[in-house]
Amino acid sequence: MSRSAKGIAALLVLLLAGSAAFLLLRPKGEGQVARITLNGKVVQEIDLSRVEQPYTLTIDGPGGFSNTITVEKGRICVSKAGCPDQICVHQGYISDGTTPIVCLPNRLIIEITGGGSGLDAAAG
Amino acid sequence: MTQRRADGPYRVVRLALLTAIALTIFMAEAQLPPLVPIQGVKLGLANIVTVYAVFVLGPRDALMILSARIFLGAVFSGQMMTLLYSAGGGLLAWAVMAVLSRQLTVKQLWLASPLAAVFHNLGQLLVAAGVMKSWTVMAFLPWLLISGVVTGLFTGLCAQFLIARLERISRGKDPGTKED
Repeated sequence: MSRSAKGIAALLVLLLAGSAAFLLLRPKGEGQVARITLNGKVVQEIDLSRVEQPYTLTIDGPGGFSNTITVEKGRICVSKAGCPDQICVHQGYISDGTTPIVCLPNRLIIEITGGGSGLDAAAG
Repeated sequence: MTQRRADGPYRVVRLALLTAIALTIFMAEAQLPPLVPIQGVKLGLANIVTVYAVFVLGPRDALMILSARIFLGAVFSGQMMTLLYSAGGGLLAWAVMAVLSRQLTVKQLWLASPLAAVFHNLGQLLVAAGVMKSWTVMAFLPWLLISGVVTGLFTGLCAQFLIARLERISRGKDPGTKED
């Protein structure tokens, strides 16, 4: 193998290992506040630790359809979406700050943050 | 691999054929349900054609095939928003491959593909961050890096086997026969 081929192979292995390590080792985050962002603006913040009864709310997005969000104690999910791909629905409940729910066609983001301080433990 | 710099009608026909093949693969793959519930993760089988074109026909012809396929793919699938994501990812991946095609031989093409796929996913995420006006989407970056390496390796190997086959056909037998 030539030098550049070896370099590329090494870079790929490094990328794989780095990503895997990041996913396995990252902190979960202490947050309990779900922040719902639509088209770059925060529309709602829900303290999940204080939810007594599960409830749903519907949000109309700029994509021309609505997402139905189910809120439960300690977790949140998109239970219904008008988009064709349904990726946000398949993702299911989230309860920590590691992976946000993102609905690209409707420009909706649901992430769990530490609340008032705002900054999440996971940088990146 | 012979790099015939064909001009005129021959070149146009070849570009059109490859675009049609890429578009067909793209549309067929779009019918499959998402493999994993993460935005932007897919096999990207149509890029077998892109990788092949960059290394065998050269980056310029590959760019023409790629941009035609991305545009027609968005039109045919009826989701014009995908145009932005595909273009952002596709152009970045193409640029990376154009550079790599000078560094690597055709035999090492399978190595160029995963790196291009990683940059494809990165470009897609950057576009997504712009559309969503939020850097939150970068939380998916590690997932997309891993998937890029895996899917890129797959499409790269497909292209590699394809080139070996095509070479054997054009060398061994009359390309006009119905073999393969």
